[in-house]
Amino acid sequence: MIYEGKQKIWADYQKEIPEDHYFYVRSCIRQSFFPASEVTFLDITRNKLGKDIFETEHHTTCGGIAYHSDAIPQETAMTIIARQFALMKKYGYENYVCSCITSFGLYCETMETWREYPELQEKIADNLWKSCKLEFAKPKFLVHASDLIFKYRNQIAAKSKYKLVNVRTGEPLRVVEHIGCHYSKMFPSKGVGGAEYPYVLVGMVEAWGGQIIDYPERRHCCGFGFRQYMIQSNRGYSLSNTHKKFESMEPFKPDMIITNCPGCPYFLDRWQYVIAETEGKTYGENGHGIPVFTYEEVAGLVMGYDPWDLGLQTHQVGVEPLLDKMGIPYDPAKKYLGKNGKNIGEPEKPHCLK
Amino acid sequence: MGKLYDRLMQDYRIKEGLNACINCGTCTAICPAAEFYRYDPRRIVDIVQHQDDAQIEELLKSDTIWYCGECLSCVTRCPRKNAAGLIIMALRSLSIQTGFFMESEKGRQMYLLCKDLNSNILNYGYCVYPRTFKYKEHQEAGVVWKWEEEHLDDIFERLGGNLDGEGAGAMRKIPQKDLDELKKIYDITGATQMLENVRAAGLKKAEELGLTEEEYAKKLYTESSNKHFNH
Amino acid sequence: MKNNILIIGGGPAGLEASSILVKMGYNVILVEKEKQLGGHLAKWDTLFPDGLKAEELLKAMIKKTEGVKCFTDTQVQSVNILDKSYNVILSNGITVLADALLLATGFDLFKAEKKEEYGYGIYEGVITNADLEQFFKGNFSIKKPKAVGFVHCVGSRDEKVCNPACSKVCCATAVKQACHIKETFEEADVFCFYMDLRMFGRHYEDLYLKAQKMGIRFIRGRVSEVAETSEGRLLVKAEDTLSSKPIKVTLDTLVLMAGMRPSESGYMVGHQLNLSVEEDGFFSTKDTMLSLQKSNLDGLFFAGAATGPKTLPDTLHEARSAAMEIDNYLTKK
Repeated sequence: MIYEGKQKIWADYQKEIPEDHYFYVRSCIRQSFFPASEVTFLDITRNKLGKDIFETEHHTTCGGIAYHSDAIPQETAMTIIARQFALMKKYGYENYVCSCITSFGLYCETMETWREYPELQEKIADNLWKSCKLEFAKPKFLVHASDLIFKYRNQIAAKSKYKLVNVRTGEPLRVVEHIGCHYSKMFPSKGVGGAEYPYVLVGMVEAWGGQIIDYPERRHCCGFGFRQYMIQSNRGYSLSNTHKKFESMEPFKPDMIITNCPGCPYFLDRWQYVIAETEGKTYGENGHGIPVFTYEEVAGLVMGYDPWDLGLQTHQVGVEPLLDKMGIPYDPAKKYLGKNGKNIGEPEKPHCLK
Repeated sequence: MGKLYDRLMQDYRIKEGLNACINCGTCTAICPAAEFYRYDPRRIVDIVQHQDDAQIEELLKSDTIWYCGECLSCVTRCPRKNAAGLIIMALRSLSIQTGFFMESEKGRQMYLLCKDLNSNILNYGYCVYPRTFKYKEHQEAGVVWKWEEEHLDDIFERLGGNLDGEGAGAMRKIPQKDLDELKKIYDITGATQMLENVRAAGLKKAEELGLTEEEYAKKLYTESSNKHFNH
Repeated sequence: MKNNILIIGGGPAGLEASSILVKMGYNVILVEKEKQLGGHLAKWDTLFPDGLKAEELLKAMIKKTEGVKCFTDTQVQSVNILDKSYNVILSNGITVLADALLLATGFDLFKAEKKEEYGYGIYEGVITNADLEQFFKGNFSIKKPKAVGFVHCVGSRDEKVCNPACSKVCCATAVKQACHIKETFEEADVFCFYMDLRMFGRHYEDLYLKAQKMGIRFIRGRVSEVAETSEGRLLVKAEDTLSSKPIKVTLDTLVLMAGMRPSESGYMVGHQLNLSVEEDGFFSTKDTMLSLQKSNLDGLFFAGAATGPKTLPDTLHEARSAAMEIDNYLTKK
């Protein structure tokens, strides 16, 4: 692989990301399965870097998962989105940052469709007024939360306590980056680095000391597939796609995976567990899986957050081998404790996956 | 020009996603569904562009249109700027509008998807809500989720979330006024009507099969014929 | 007094036209931006359909240009339209008062790295049709491959890269190169990934037949993406559209058939003269049937790929037609 070739492509996709003052919108999946990631994002941006990231309790889902499961009409999704944008304006913001990749893709698609078909935009604005008495608006800048962490990657590196480096060997960690399909596959110019070699996570990993590995199926979907996961009898689709990715990355011996979509880390983590429990196959070292992280978790780790504050105990694939490699101290006894040391029991141990 | 084709052309996703396909197969080559299911997105685009209503009707009644995972990977590479994924989405919408979705096993799953996702949205304001995401139905979520499910409040508290709490924060309770607005959006954009139609069609089918609503839902959730798969 | 004719571009079109016009007794000045004459022909090893050596053809063509004033390594710096002639200043400081101008500015090869998913400039085994000709000439190295693929239509028939047109010569070039590879590496498996195989010329179909008999596999599907395996080989994905199955093939060398784009240096000249171009970026001709060598400007003519992709025989025909049109024009004047 010729690195300079990629650099040339990255140079063609320079996305404008404003430095500060954002209206923040959460992700249904990230909140449900990785709530600490959103907490960490806000703590890093607001408290460590002093940025103005505003959130209101009045925003809702964008409807994206229902829309992509074909369970609501396009016009419904567009009007919900218009409501989110209207809230942004109401609170005095023009930069919009969302935590979810499905949302990000849907916002991009919606704004593009509105641009091409002004009569549709007018109809949606009318729907919005009739249903919510809110004034129609569009963001001046639309970014995904990973775009912001990418933007701040060097500031984060400057404040870091740990690096994505194996402390025993001094070698950079071998990192797989997995980009959510709806980040830039529809609109390459909307993503940092484009669609074929997105740079958004690569930039973070490089700034924090790691090394990206390039494996054949790196552009393949994690396999969520919306309805293909929601319904149990379709789930083989989801599993088989994750399986394909792991078989493809296995020979490259990755130390970890970093993701920017909220769904992907859940699927890449949980399907490893299912593959281990049903087939006895594990992809990490010595019966472990390959730990999968959100970008907020990785930023938190390099900045010295406690792994259990980051919620890494809620992953099914154990993260301890990676923490050991990075030289991050952790207290195994505190892993599953509730707030203020409350004993809330422990999960059962998987049979095969260590 | 046929009637179904004309109705499809009303959909903005077709307007955006259907150019003229040259059947090169770029979309199928990287489609996550094409390897798993007996599925070829190229063929679907080709059928739609032929404007043949009989063939389109067959598609709307088939399992084929429900195999796509809407990852939209096909959009990036098409040399003619088609978007097979968007075309599928329009076909699915039309299949639901015409009632043809009830003619295929995968289409009938709409009953469950509409019910589960929309009750989360209308009751809580989220597509996914941890209290309705059950380990029993999601064993792949792992023994760690089984533990989380039993201690959701403690775990959200430990991780700085705000499960069902007032004000902002992860998984906060979304105020009723905002949920009411979502309901109004559903009412005026046709979602409410669509949900009622899908539900009525499902209940009618359940009755035909002599199943209770619960039994029918379980059947949809778990049963799959082998004819769908590529291998 | 002899009329001055300035020919811009020293490729096959420019060479052929200049040799005819000089024999007719005109004062012919040929300007070529490269250090050597011949354009793309100078970089090619052999030619379809019968494997003629490009070097020999070029030598013969250059030999016929005796009496032509050739300026290589020279570009047009500025052009002004005068009453009945053109005032052209060349980069070597010479000013030419031309009674007629012939644009034989040809084409540039599509920059294959723009098709990011094919990995040119990123994966070592991914090369272009031009690189492969250099290999055949002994100026470029590739490791002995077990499997080689050819991707047709790279940067052609592709709206995403704003080049919806067919580049015309790539199908025949690919089949010729595939045969040449098979002759060089007999053990190698060779695949051609095509959308439509456009083998329209005399003996082209014979070339296709030869390739099939040599065991070259033709897959009707456009390559969707290329990636590198842990052994450093290339994993190529396409759909075999004739059997409706997605396929994966592991290769060592992948040859991208880069198509034709309007030449940048031709564009610079055209821009100064306000010449109109069509949607494909190539120059518009006066009409589309009867006056293909004429432009909308009196005394300005075209030959070859400046007005769209052409084969070498097409280009040479155009050069001869252009010479005749120029002669008619100057005689009437």
